[in-house]
Amino acid sequence: MSVATASPVVRRLAGTLPLPVLAPVLATLAALGLGVGLIAATGTPVTAAILAFWDGMVGSTFGIGASINRGVALALVGLGFIFANRANLTNVGGEGQIAFGGMVATAVALRGAASLPAGLAVAVPLAAGAATGAVWGGLAGILKVKRGTNEVISTLLLTFIALLVVYWSVQSENLLRQPKTSAATLPESLELPAPTRLPTLSTDPSSPLHIGVLLAAVATVAVGVALARSALGVRLRAVGLSELASRRAGIRDGALVVLALTVAGALGGLAGAIMLQGELWVLKAGFSSGYGFDGLVVGLLSRGSAVAVVAGALFFGFLRSGGIAMEISAGVPAAVVLLIQGLIVILIAGSVILTGAGRER
Amino acid sequence: MAPLLELAGLTKRFGTLTALDGVSLSVDRDEVHCLLGENGAGKSTLCNLIFGVHQPDAGEMLLQGHPFRPTGPADSLAAGVAMVHQHFSLVPTMTVVENLLLGRSRGVLTRTAFGGRVLELAAEYGLQVDPDRRVGDLSVGERQRVEIVKCLMRNPHLLVLDEPTAVLPPEEIGALLALCRRVAASGRGVLLVTHKLAEIARVADRTTVLRAGKVVESVSMANADMRSLVRAMVGRDLGSLDSIAAVSLGVEPGAPRATPPAWKPAPAGSPIGQRPREDALVLDGLGFRDVAGTLRLDSVTIIVRPGEIVGIAGVEGNGQAELGAIIAGLARPTAGRIFVGGRELTGRPPAEITAAGVGIIPEDRHAVGSIGEMSVAENMFLGQLRRFTRLGLLRRRALNEAALDLMKEFDVRAHGPDTPMARLSGGNQQKAVLARELTLDPLVFLLAAQPTRGLDVGAVDAVYGRIRAVRERGTGILLISSELDELLAASDRILVLYRGRIVGEMVAEARHREAIGSLMSGHAA
Amino acid sequence: MTDEQLAVFVASSLRLSMPLILAASGEMVSERAGVLNMSLEGMMLTAAFGGALGSWATGSPGLGLLCGVGAALVVAFLQAVLSVTLRANQLVVGIGFNLLVLGATTFLYREIFGPLSREVIPGFAKWHVPLLGDLPVLGPALFQQVGLVYAGLALVVLIWALLRYTALGLAIDAVGEHPRAADQAGVWVAGVRYAGVVVAGVMAGLAGVFISVGDINTFTEGMTNGQGYLAIAAVIFGGWVGWRTLGACLLFGTATALQFQLPAMGIAIPTAGLIMLPYVLALLAVAGLVGRLSPPSALTIPYRRGVS
Repeated sequence: MSVATASPVVRRLAGTLPLPVLAPVLATLAALGLGVGLIAATGTPVTAAILAFWDGMVGSTFGIGASINRGVALALVGLGFIFANRANLTNVGGEGQIAFGGMVATAVALRGAASLPAGLAVAVPLAAGAATGAVWGGLAGILKVKRGTNEVISTLLLTFIALLVVYWSVQSENLLRQPKTSAATLPESLELPAPTRLPTLSTDPSSPLHIGVLLAAVATVAVGVALARSALGVRLRAVGLSELASRRAGIRDGALVVLALTVAGALGGLAGAIMLQGELWVLKAGFSSGYGFDGLVVGLLSRGSAVAVVAGALFFGFLRSGGIAMEISAGVPAAVVLLIQGLIVILIAGSVILTGAGRER
Repeated sequence: MAPLLELAGLTKRFGTLTALDGVSLSVDRDEVHCLLGENGAGKSTLCNLIFGVHQPDAGEMLLQGHPFRPTGPADSLAAGVAMVHQHFSLVPTMTVVENLLLGRSRGVLTRTAFGGRVLELAAEYGLQVDPDRRVGDLSVGERQRVEIVKCLMRNPHLLVLDEPTAVLPPEEIGALLALCRRVAASGRGVLLVTHKLAEIARVADRTTVLRAGKVVESVSMANADMRSLVRAMVGRDLGSLDSIAAVSLGVEPGAPRATPPAWKPAPAGSPIGQRPREDALVLDGLGFRDVAGTLRLDSVTIIVRPGEIVGIAGVEGNGQAELGAIIAGLARPTAGRIFVGGRELTGRPPAEITAAGVGIIPEDRHAVGSIGEMSVAENMFLGQLRRFTRLGLLRRRALNEAALDLMKEFDVRAHGPDTPMARLSGGNQQKAVLARELTLDPLVFLLAAQPTRGLDVGAVDAVYGRIRAVRERGTGILLISSELDELLAASDRILVLYRGRIVGEMVAEARHREAIGSLMSGHAA
Repeated sequence: MTDEQLAVFVASSLRLSMPLILAASGEMVSERAGVLNMSLEGMMLTAAFGGALGSWATGSPGLGLLCGVGAALVVAFLQAVLSVTLRANQLVVGIGFNLLVLGATTFLYREIFGPLSREVIPGFAKWHVPLLGDLPVLGPALFQQVGLVYAGLALVVLIWALLRYTALGLAIDAVGEHPRAADQAGVWVAGVRYAGVVVAGVMAGLAGVFISVGDINTFTEGMTNGQGYLAIAAVIFGGWVGWRTLGACLLFGTATALQFQLPAMGIAIPTAGLIMLPYVLALLAVAGLVGRLSPPSALTIPYRRGVS
């Protein structure tokens, strides 16, 4: 089945707009439509739900700031994804990289970073988080190069392990748990000291928007330029397309595979650190709450374009805010957003046959 | 009586390319019909139409007088058409019996009983097969026998063979052709697809010549004339063809052909004579054991001097691939050493090997020689990106311009330097690879592995022209090919590789053809 | 360890291994045919929910089982359409389904049961295998499990027989190893691959139903908790060979059982570490630290006739 043999309507549609752009948009619309249908099916008045959703997204400076902050984390994971994907590697470990990075950032922040001079108090935990994520991603890369392990499976298993390590760390007071003052003391860390928290950008005190946005912007430019214009980008692509031919050309394919996954991991770890230092301020088990997988979806949708990652990340960031608000105000489970995302991924993956963008060997 | 198979006006297009244009042809019972054409003429496409892999855009097919429109191999098999493929359709991890049972049994398998039937049938046609051996362990010739038995077990009316002699040593070609005769004599039709003229003379009743997708000539062999067939196949006179090009068409070695230019080492005093006389390549006792522990190369010692062309003869699968991989730096020998221009390169990475002046035209230009999805320019300079990189960024315009220069020099035809490599014809892809490898400076040694595989006569000409040009400049060349006649025409001396060992060395003269062929099959000279 | 503790340990090891054994055996068939179902997790969760819902609504665990397996089959069929007919990236599709199913089951559960309920649903009865069930110590542990365990194990053996001794099994291996050769021998490549995915779906369905209806007798959000991925790791570790895969599942299941066993024996290892153990083992397994076997050559690669 190809565009040439599809019905005349499809052919005409395909002729007017570039399919690679059309497909994600159509898929998103279809999925959103289905989501709305489901909401209606629950008996909740659709308008009320949508209003609550909208309000949560853009109804206040708080909402907008929070949505953009969410987008920052998603964008970083998405950028990491497309970077690794250039070498035909699928990093599914964003969730674990966020978790681990956030945990280490918390540890560093609580254990001395507060006494560092101004900029460093913020930067050192961030760097520690990124480094941790880098190691976690690089580990999958090494396994791939040395043992031939499929990185999808390895990054997934590493995610589970990371999530459990974080859970472990807030269970024990020897680790990161706050001192138990009563039976009701929650298993979470102490609050991050003020010097380590990310400075906010907005003069409006109700907006939580922090400098994470700037970091994300830098990362976007760096990854975007690297992939589109640099020699490294060409080499990554070569390695992804043909190990043998690139090796013959003198490219160190093993090193590049490890590099690709290390960078993806680093960006994920950084996202985790930013989440903790930017808004959460307290480490809890499961704080990553699906951001890793959302970022993965953003990466998949963007088809390798850094700009598209940002657009997608913002979209999903706002979506998430809306979903939470909708659950609180209108009683519709936020899980419906998860459902929509899964549907988008499937529809896009399935449409690849029309765009001919899939690689078959 | 109606012909067994009749094709009328078959046309097949792939996008803008017309692979077949109004092809008509018929095959009778008791007949061996040869379909002759050079690489790229459309022979494989025609086979795929007959076997149902593709469907024609125009024209029709009749089998035993009834319309024949297979939608897949299962239909063709059911109708009594069987095909021996050029790239075997056998599952390497399964045994012979299991491969033969595939697709024709239901319910519970009866491996032993079936094995008995296999042996019976094979004996009937004088073929030797061992039912319980793993196909992956068999030699190329043995695998082909299995593929043939697989077809015969279906009791087909029509047997199609796609380039069956391409993988056989000279000794076994005769047996295969005799088998074709025997199959035809048992009341079936045989369609033999080939680009080797010499073979058809021995076995064909009728011959149809295909060129650029059209039927150019169709004769009965009683009236056939070699010269006119060659002219039909390539559109040029036999006499105007280079000796090697003629040889690639399978013209009999004894047939009159253009005299090759005299090749002599450059005289002293020329630039080459002034360089120290280090051997271009020395392989000293090279050994290689693969991941499964099988010894693929054993005590291989080869010396190639500057300006010399050494040919390695042998049936595919006797260690050529491993040899090529080791020289390219893609595999590490388990024993022995490698020297290029006096410098040891054993186990060194590909980048260092290339820097030492080693050019490689790999056997598999799709998997190792180039990356189909990347542009011609990217392919040409993948190993030299640094030349076009400033502050980490790639200067595309400079890259494309440099590529354009090379493309002009080597006559690589494409829409532009940013065309994906996969869109080029086989010949142009190979020319692009040549452009990359032959412009290395210094080029001390060149490995050319199966350089003309799948190429048409024009491209064969171009490839050997280039190879000869670098030889004039003092590069030592190792030529690996399973086409014995090409090796004889192109090399100075020939080494025979059998089961990973060098079993013989001779001067490359036509009178040694039989001895070399014998060594290729594992017999003592 | 006392006799009683041993009995409990063996019983829970077997019980915790069962979902893996069921899912991995089915996935092994699919992967031998060349399709990798990353969505195994999603299929299991769908079945867990469907089974729980069916059992609760009808009061019959048997009908619940049919519900659950049916639900899993829907996901499996869609996965097959996407992977085989539409030739989509199998890994991406799998992850997409897992997200979708997690969202859908959570959503539906909250709508139907409310956010905090822990309804107890009718579960399966235990079977008592005659004679063997009366052996000392291990008898009750091994031979008085839920009926689904024995039915499931019988199915697994049936699958092994199918792969080794039937024409379909041969076709499955051929299609996963060298689909072009299979096609040219007249095998219906797409059909065989669909069959493989369906088998994986049925077995994953049984696994999911076992988790909710057969084992815990309730449904909780995301209750499969990565067991689908463990099953895939088991298939890889088992080298796509029946008995080795079974061994891998038992290994992972036993590791999970340690979570409860060690504290009961007074050994104080943090729970998180124990919960982590199966995943760490799985990681070591796929890292090939215990031998490396090669996958079917055409695994995850879609087939298209005419493109070799």
